[in-house]
Amino acid sequence: MMKQIWNITHYELLHVFKDPILFIIVFITPIFYAGLFGTVYFSSILSNIPLAVVDQDNSTLSRDLRLAFANDHSFKIVPGADSYEAMETGMKDGTVRAGIVIPRDFEQSVKQGTSAQILSVYDASNLIWGFNSRKFIQEVINNFASHYTAEKLAGAGYTEHEIENVMNSVECNVTAWYNPNYSYANYIFMGLMMLVVHQIGLLGVCLAVTREKERNSWLQYIASSIPAWKISLGKCLPYLIANFFNYALLLWVSSRLVHIKIEGNILLMACLGLLYVSTITFAGYIVSIYSSNSLQATRYLMLLSVPLLMLSGYSWPRGYIPDILNSLALLFPSSWMLIGFRMVSIKNASWELLWPTLIALALMAVLTLYLALNFRKERKPENKHSLMVNSGLSYPRKINMLGALRQQLRASRF
Amino acid sequence: MFKTNLMIMRRELGYMWRDRGLRNILLLGPLLGILLFAAIYSAQTITNIPTAIVDLDRSASSRDMAGKMENAPNLKVVSYLQSYEELEESIQQGIIVVGVLIPENFGRDVALHRHTRVLLIIDASNTIFATNASTAVLGVTRTLSAEIGVRTLLAQGMDPIKAKNMYVSLDLKEEGWFNPTLNYAYFLVLALALNIWQQCCSIAASINIIGETGVKSWLQIKAAGFSKIQLFVSKSIIHITVFMVMALLIYFIAFGIFKIPLACKLSTLLLFTLVFTVALHSIGTLMSSIAGNAVDSTRFSMMVALPSFVLSGYTWPIEAMPGFLQPVVWVIPQTWFFQGFNYLSFKNPGWQFMASYFWALIAFALICYSLATVITAWKER
Repeated sequence: MMKQIWNITHYELLHVFKDPILFIIVFITPIFYAGLFGTVYFSSILSNIPLAVVDQDNSTLSRDLRLAFANDHSFKIVPGADSYEAMETGMKDGTVRAGIVIPRDFEQSVKQGTSAQILSVYDASNLIWGFNSRKFIQEVINNFASHYTAEKLAGAGYTEHEIENVMNSVECNVTAWYNPNYSYANYIFMGLMMLVVHQIGLLGVCLAVTREKERNSWLQYIASSIPAWKISLGKCLPYLIANFFNYALLLWVSSRLVHIKIEGNILLMACLGLLYVSTITFAGYIVSIYSSNSLQATRYLMLLSVPLLMLSGYSWPRGYIPDILNSLALLFPSSWMLIGFRMVSIKNASWELLWPTLIALALMAVLTLYLALNFRKERKPENKHSLMVNSGLSYPRKINMLGALRQQLRASRF
Repeated sequence: MFKTNLMIMRRELGYMWRDRGLRNILLLGPLLGILLFAAIYSAQTITNIPTAIVDLDRSASSRDMAGKMENAPNLKVVSYLQSYEELEESIQQGIIVVGVLIPENFGRDVALHRHTRVLLIIDASNTIFATNASTAVLGVTRTLSAEIGVRTLLAQGMDPIKAKNMYVSLDLKEEGWFNPTLNYAYFLVLALALNIWQQCCSIAASINIIGETGVKSWLQIKAAGFSKIQLFVSKSIIHITVFMVMALLIYFIAFGIFKIPLACKLSTLLLFTLVFTVALHSIGTLMSSIAGNAVDSTRFSMMVALPSFVLSGYTWPIEAMPGFLQPVVWVIPQTWFFQGFNYLSFKNPGWQFMASYFWALIAFALICYSLATVITAWKER
């Protein structure tokens, strides 16, 4: 029994190894994308944001404030961008991404105890620049204000201990959980990797049947006495193993080489991965069975990645996505996997929290497995009017549907 | 000659229309894309970040503290929990993004000016939430520590004016330039739709040459004595026209229906899109001249098109990428397009600044078309 499955698997494996492009897609592309995206997000935190400081006061206090920004690694003061006009020009051409305008009466206002207004501007045309600049400016201003108070209290004769008591009588301890450095790589990288697994998994297996159809060898499978489930299992097995291997490899590369935070229960991650790649592999196989040719299957599947990522709630939070789209997202394994994987790897979630994800992925895996193993072994009549590819005969010609129907009816009468 | 060109164009248009897969991808892909992304980002901004408070003290001071958190911009207190464990669980499940823990005896310690600690927890697993939450929390803590500090100094018998002067009263006025409401929809919806559009165009352009040379009718075309240049130029004109029609539709939906603001003139953006379309088509043409069949050609084109949005620096800035990668990402035309698109749509920096973007895309097109011509001629020799 197993020999037939093994023979088909062996035959499919030969195809993968003999077709250099397919080999690259299945084995090289995942690692290539991991390396490429890993390099892109390697720094993971924005630093040295080009900052313009427009000091209209030019006082001791304003220079201290300028120094506070100069000493903060998050900012890099752009030389020459010291007037409002220069800041405006810099913001427009991208040489400046944030700016601080210290007003003329800054020191005087502070000494008089009246409120001194500082203008902070940031380039919100890219919200990653915008949000980070806003946060870093707040941090620098908070630190500056604390230092100012500490110095004043010291000047008034307070000891270090007394200063500590006054300033920290209520200590507000702000703690960022799960991703303490606000690393962008920890946030987005594994989402991209899960989509790489998704895309590569689909693109490999989606040719398993279409290739045979184009070579007219699918007929041999259909005509043979081998049951459908054995054919499917034999054809899917190499891709299933390769996809799981890629999943494990990407986790290893992400953790060890790109230094992405991957914690949590390994067994849980393995279970999630197994269910995810099984669903993808069998879904891709079903697409392959029902696609007329390789080109059509490839074209449609290639466009899935961006919409699936956005729909999953992985980047833009689910609470801000309309309910109908959230319900739609639940139909895709990527939505469950992306959120589930983040919960395990970043938040160290346990089996108790992950059981809905595991059940949903298991149901999808079983459903796709059932559909893949129980395809109908019948040859679809060749559609002579569809696009021929891979050195096929011709482009489609205009068809007379009515004429074709008449011909069919006439033929059936005889 | 012009008549022949017209005939080839009509034939190409017919082929594109009758190829149902291609028709669906070109017509529906970008349109579904923009509608989907507009729906996803319909909330537009991150406000009302879910916040929970654990008040273990239940005193007037702790209620005052909780009130301050309730009034903080962008935070929304959605629940008052009973314990730290409940808070931890809610954050782990993603129900809560910001957690505030006010300890026991908080009111008594504040009254006696003893040291006490309020814990503010931010779930940083999603940095979009986290940076916004952190900014909101930092604003609250600055005001709060100043208020309590002044109160402590007053209690120690310091003169009220002197006590107030000890704390620098900084009023931080914030301005987000070019996108003042920090609107995610303005930033991402059109860019993501254009990303889908460029992927669809890459798929269509990648059969430009192999779609002819890879089928047996190529012998008939060669026997008919058509100039190859004439054939492919005519085909390319139709491809580029169709791509531009789709871009126009996307822009109509984005600017006409969703009212996404545009800093530059629409004509400038259209001209820039046209130049990019030509560059994009030239890459597809180059791939279709290299590949042995249409499937491989599509795969080659998509290997450039799929990661291009991430590499373009539209989201994660190019300046934050490693030094050696920064010049490399400019090798793909999508980087020039998405960077230029960002400047045009938000800043309109003027022709002098944008000229390099136009010339770079034109150079891409010239190089890729030339290479495609040489490769096709070499393969057909």
